[in-house]
Amino acid sequence: MCLAVPMKISSIDGFLCVCEARGIKREVSLFMLQDDSLKVGDHVLVHVGYAIQKVSDQEAAESWQLFDEMLATENTA
Amino acid sequence: MKDAAHWLDALRDLDIATPIRIMNVCGGHERSISVAGLRTALPEKIELIPGPGCPVCICPEEDVYEAIQLALHEDITLVAFGDMLRVPVNAPKREPRSLEQAKAAGADIRPIASPTEAVRIANSDPARTVVFFAAGFETTTAPVAAMLSEGAPKNLLVLLSGRLTWPAVAMLLESEAPGFDALIAPGHVSTVMGPEEWQFVVDKHGLPAAIAGFRADTLLAAMYSVVEQLQSGRRALDNCYPEVVRPGGNTLARRQLDEVMQVYDANWRGVGVIPRSGYRLREKYAAHDSRRVFRSYADESRKRVGEMPPGCDCARVVLGKVYPNECRLYGLACTPRKPIGPCMVSDEGACRIWWSSGYRENRWEGRRQEKTNV
Ligand code: SF4
Repeated sequence: MCLAVPMKISSIDGFLCVCEARGIKREVSLFMLQDDSLKVGDHVLVHVGYAIQKVSDQEAAESWQLFDEMLATENTA
Repeated sequence: MKDAAHWLDALRDLDIATPIRIMNVCGGHERSISVAGLRTALPEKIELIPGPGCPVCICPEEDVYEAIQLALHEDITLVAFGDMLRVPVNAPKREPRSLEQAKAAGADIRPIASPTEAVRIANSDPARTVVFFAAGFETTTAPVAAMLSEGAPKNLLVLLSGRLTWPAVAMLLESEAPGFDALIAPGHVSTVMGPEEWQFVVDKHGLPAAIAGFRADTLLAAMYSVVEQLQSGRRALDNCYPEVVRPGGNTLARRQLDEVMQVYDANWRGVGVIPRSGYRLREKYAAHDSRRVFRSYADESRKRVGEMPPGCDCARVVLGKVYPNECRLYGLACTPRKPIGPCMVSDEGACRIWWSSGYRENRWEGRRQEKTNV
């Protein structure tokens, strides 16, 4: 529940957007970031369906490396 | 940023004479630490203690009971984050002891992953009342506030069990034996609330603190920071996760929290009341407040009301007083398949994290006295 993951914005409709990461698409609310001018292609940190902060592309890529490792470990546990 | 190997070498190069106990207060940190095997990689004198980092574990037993009873007795749909469904309460035998069991008994209970899903479910049938049982720390509670601030459907109510993390750390630090020498502060709580929330650890209590993200490099950088501080006498709150933790946090999110909710002295399961540690809905949102709209189902005559299940040491695990595998039931009666306490149910519970990362040995026999006496 508390794990926030970086996702890439693929379309925006008002305060709602569709985000993508690792081929998975999710509807995400931008209500908490409405003061940041976000655009398609930006990365945001998503927690329980809400974008809580903007992140750089590099930070997003590095975080996913870790999650992949964590998932790999937990699947074998 | 320097990589994990760099920080690990730097930590190994330090000459550490007396044991150093570093507490983390985030299930995500504990997961990264366990999965990356940091406990075995670090010098022996550095002890990593999982602390109050699991909102599911400390969600008041009474609130889970309330949610179960609402779902059983009122004509509603109850939605909750998936982790909450298996949390056990101390109900009399033959009565449902979790939301999952209440669902099996016919109650309309659905797991959700986001407040936006609660809105969608409420919108899909405006004639039906939907109650969102919302437990969580700041990172989860802020989106609930955003949902209400944006304007939730009339038929969507919230049973709020939001909690703040720092007051639990403050309570430990004000106690006689806090049980740790330095703090790794939570990255995503700080992303929303701002790093400033943790400054009191340094200013008021003189302990080193550092905010960390979730990769091994930022966690190790934070550990190096606090150990170096202990050795040099320098004191600061270091931000080792500046990529997303910015001064002031997410100011809009904080405004939304403040507009919708107020802070009050709140109960933590098995721990008791911690000053200024809980969120409740403001008067303005009374029409969305399940606690104001429905009668209370509290039953103080229940056996072990408010407590952890019999034999479960979760409360002391959460406060960092014992390690998960120092519980008598760890890995024996209690496993993720058949969890006894909330710390084995939740993905953020230290017991479950330890079990999933391969700690299989029960250390009840060899356990220390309270770690605070070490
Ligand atoms: S091992 Fe199970 S019973 Fe023991 S503290 Fe953890 S959750 Fe509770």
